[in-house]
Amino acid sequence: MNTKWTVWLGGVLLAAVIAAALYFPALRRRVKQAKELTEKTAEQARRELLPVAPISTGDPMVKAKMFWGSRGQEGELVAVVVELPLSRDPVLRSKQVLNTLLAGPVDAESRTLPPDAALLAFYILPDGTGVADFSDEIRTSIPSGIQSEQLAVESILRTLESNVPQVLRLKILIHGQEADTLAGHVDLTQLFRVNAKDAAGTQLDNPSPPGSKLPAPIRKAVETVRKATKR
Amino acid sequence: MVLDPAHGGTDPGARGTEGISESDEVLQFATATKRALEAQGFQVVLTREGNDNPSFDDRSARANAQRGAVFITLHIASTGLTGTARVYVEPERPAPNNITGLIPWDRAQTPFLSLSRKLGELVQQELSKRFKGSPDTLQTAPVRQLRTTAAPAIAVEISSVSVKERAELDRMVPGVAEAIARGLTDFRPTYVVPTIPVPGGSVKP
Repeated sequence: MNTKWTVWLGGVLLAAVIAAALYFPALRRRVKQAKELTEKTAEQARRELLPVAPISTGDPMVKAKMFWGSRGQEGELVAVVVELPLSRDPVLRSKQVLNTLLAGPVDAESRTLPPDAALLAFYILPDGTGVADFSDEIRTSIPSGIQSEQLAVESILRTLESNVPQVLRLKILIHGQEADTLAGHVDLTQLFRVNAKDAAGTQLDNPSPPGSKLPAPIRKAVETVRKATKR
Repeated sequence: MVLDPAHGGTDPGARGTEGISESDEVLQFATATKRALEAQGFQVVLTREGNDNPSFDDRSARANAQRGAVFITLHIASTGLTGTARVYVEPERPAPNNITGLIPWDRAQTPFLSLSRKLGELVQQELSKRFKGSPDTLQTAPVRQLRTTAAPAIAVEISSVSVKERAELDRMVPGVAEAIARGLTDFRPTYVVPTIPVPGGSVKP
């Protein structure tokens, strides 16, 4: 090979290396963007399947009390009054206030629930027991710990207590299943007291292992929710 | 004395900066606390000594199998004011309607709640003396691990895995161990295993 060809080949190789050096970071960015887009689309599609609690303009505007974290006092909740059109139907109303709670306060640091968690279903049984079914993100995205999990559950209970008097106690499910804990600490096998008027102490204080000795109405509700949210 | 370093195995617990995981750190706290308690004459067992993850029930069983045991589960939160520690006990529940004298496994903590509160207050006082910003009084929370434990039982949660440097947590280890040892020493003279009321008398668990 003569010198002219060697120089020419070297020049081509150098140009190829420079082009690759410029092109590969751009390609990486594009792959990353495409991946994020796919994840967002999957999440969006999942949420679009969920029945969103409709906020009707015909519903009366109500000053709802939402319980979010206090910025001044660590580990405490503070009531924030939000004016919302709320249904008179207790199930719809529960969905509306819980969705507002999930949407979070203006100050993101005062959140008590993860921003990507969703309310999948909400039922109220004839005895006043509410059954709230949340998506997996409520346990996978919440900061792990006794304090943060306790604050999350309390914010749900206090928000329901203040806005939906028909809910006396609450069972929390995760993706249609009874969970042992929220994220490794706070016990979800129990029924939580929502309303001080609730006198059903025996039921409240009868936690049971997942899926086994649940009271019949709760077991039925768990099965209903499980079928509705089957992956 | 049963010390429970929470999580372990496939469950790392809270994860923070510098690759800190709750399951590793609590083991360090538990080992130091064990040494401090043994120096005070307590017999101490850990629910795990390596990176395994016994079930909640297996951990409770270590205390439930012994008469006169005390149970402390150790946690490190992912939130909270750095350098503080909180004590939790189970919320108040009515005593089970009992005709057998046996304690239902799911309600095992109920007869021990007042003792747990007493122990919790003593340990919290010691922690708040050593760690500024910690609460003066104990908190209540339905911690899953406590519910099935038939012994005075508390959860100690330290903040947090989100420290800037691992050394900040390491510096808390001797203080937490000392606070628990002191609280337990003060608690020991008052610990009488409670009786369970049954129709026609009472039964010792």
